[in-house]
Amino acid sequence: MKPKIGIYGLSGCWGEQINILNCEDELLDIVGAVDIVDFLGGSSVNDTESRLAIAFVEGSVANAREEKELQHIRNRSDLLVACGSCACFGGVGAMDAQVSRPELIKQVYGNNGPAKSWDIGPHKPLSEFVKVDLAIPGCPMESKAFVKAVSSLLNGDVPLLPTYPVCLECKMKEYDCLLVSRGLPCAGPVTVAGCGARCPGYNVACIGCHGPVDEANMGSIEKIFEQKELPMDQIKLKLRTFAAPVLDKERE
Amino acid sequence: MKILKMPKQNLDLFVSVLPAFGEVYAPVKRGKGFAFDKPSLWSDVQMKYTRTILPPKKLMLPPRETTIAFDPVEGFQDQLAMASKPMVLFGVHPYDIYGLNILDRVFAQSKYPDPYYIARRKNTAIIGMDFEPDDKHFAGSMNSDFVDSGFDLFLSDIGDDYLVLVGTSRGDDIVVMSGCLMQTPGEADFAAYKRRSKDRRASYKTKLEMEDLPEIMEMEYHSKAWEDIGNRCLSCGSCSMACPTCYCFDINDEVELGSRKGQRIRSWDSCLFKTHALVAGGENFREERSSRIKFRYYHKQRGFVAEYGRPSCIGCGRCVEVCPAEINIISVIETIRGERDGIASSAPKSV
Repeated sequence: MKPKIGIYGLSGCWGEQINILNCEDELLDIVGAVDIVDFLGGSSVNDTESRLAIAFVEGSVANAREEKELQHIRNRSDLLVACGSCACFGGVGAMDAQVSRPELIKQVYGNNGPAKSWDIGPHKPLSEFVKVDLAIPGCPMESKAFVKAVSSLLNGDVPLLPTYPVCLECKMKEYDCLLVSRGLPCAGPVTVAGCGARCPGYNVACIGCHGPVDEANMGSIEKIFEQKELPMDQIKLKLRTFAAPVLDKERE
Repeated sequence: MKILKMPKQNLDLFVSVLPAFGEVYAPVKRGKGFAFDKPSLWSDVQMKYTRTILPPKKLMLPPRETTIAFDPVEGFQDQLAMASKPMVLFGVHPYDIYGLNILDRVFAQSKYPDPYYIARRKNTAIIGMDFEPDDKHFAGSMNSDFVDSGFDLFLSDIGDDYLVLVGTSRGDDIVVMSGCLMQTPGEADFAAYKRRSKDRRASYKTKLEMEDLPEIMEMEYHSKAWEDIGNRCLSCGSCSMACPTCYCFDINDEVELGSRKGQRIRSWDSCLFKTHALVAGGENFREERSSRIKFRYYHKQRGFVAEYGRPSCIGCGRCVEVCPAEINIISVIETIRGERDGIASSAPKSV
């Protein structure tokens, strides 16, 4: 019998589920290797109770209902994989975790916003609530990282995901450095690779969507930005867009 | 060694014979820099380039290559045939040829010869070309601005002609195939060569004092300078990727979905990455950022001297050009030598 897997989305844009469905060349191999029994984004008929070999969860946890849902997924799964930067770090929704929700609603909608706040709190990564066996960052998670994770996990291995910065992949493709050569505010040196330096390949500076590398030298890159007369906060804001809770934790 | 000359106007005809010897790579524009690439038009080829973003290393030891394919039923199959495609690398500066000669010592002449590297190197014709140093080149200090081996042909600009050094029998085959494009040089050509060679040696704006450097590095192993450099280093690995003689690699097995078939992949690695010295059990013997960049300097300038009799640095200036934190090898060495107070300012004194 094929191992059963489930694919879930909490608070987020469902981009990871779209990217899983975008694995068009591999979809037949994927369903040949596993039984996708619970995947609301891909099927209206789902088995929401049976035991799962692997659960893939995207999105962050924003309220008690999602926390309960995540707990339920964890309880029925042998392995739980956090997919994408929201699930791994809190993501876009956690950018302003310190500001109160009513205040944020006011900032966005002015005085014409909804009278009472929605049932949401600060967005948090999955690891705040449950054990995460594997975290695949990215906004969205790369399709190939998902395929690699499935094939490795089925073989009893944990896939080796990049821990090095985007610069490695950028140099491997021999792109002219946007930060050094053109003075653009590129977050590549402090951002985890895995994207194949996609944005620098289109002459767009890295925005840090895979989250910061372990031991990101923020002091040094801030100084570099300062010297190049780039807006001081730009690097911080970029990284905060995707991984604010990680940066806040490092500062503590 | 045979020496010929070729009028510059014959270059277009000369390069038209090169595809007979393999796929041609030559320096072309890439962003604001240059790269060895397959030129779509010969007019795209840059005869006056400073340095390419990546060195010729990328063609001998590709950033990512499949070494073997494995299958639980059929066993494994090496991918040497892929590495044996003939190539012609045109327009290589002497320090880069020197860099390849250093890689030869590690990958071809060492105790554990690497068949993939050897296959590519053997099947690649190298056509060297001289250059004008810019403010980042310090090949003059590293004994690498002239090479007497490691190339098939070497072109030196002597005004209206190139003086052509024939280094190998394959180089001679290229000459034979190019027919009447080559001529016999005379006294005046040699005089022009000697004059240009002298001018080039005198034109280096950047110099690195190499005398007793390994000994001084030994003395300065605990210098605070390494900590200062470590505080600036982003551990991005750009210097390692761009370095003609950084050859660290990682090997991973990638399994195909739903089977136990797969490939063994070799890819570039860097001693600046935190995982480089991480071993099973979670121990990391170069956990500190400063210890990692220090290691890179010691391996280049000291360890390699002990092992191979010369530093592995060839003075191409790529690490100076690519470092986002502007860590400059010249300033670092000057600091270690006690000739400057610190690395706060990145501009070297000798410029």
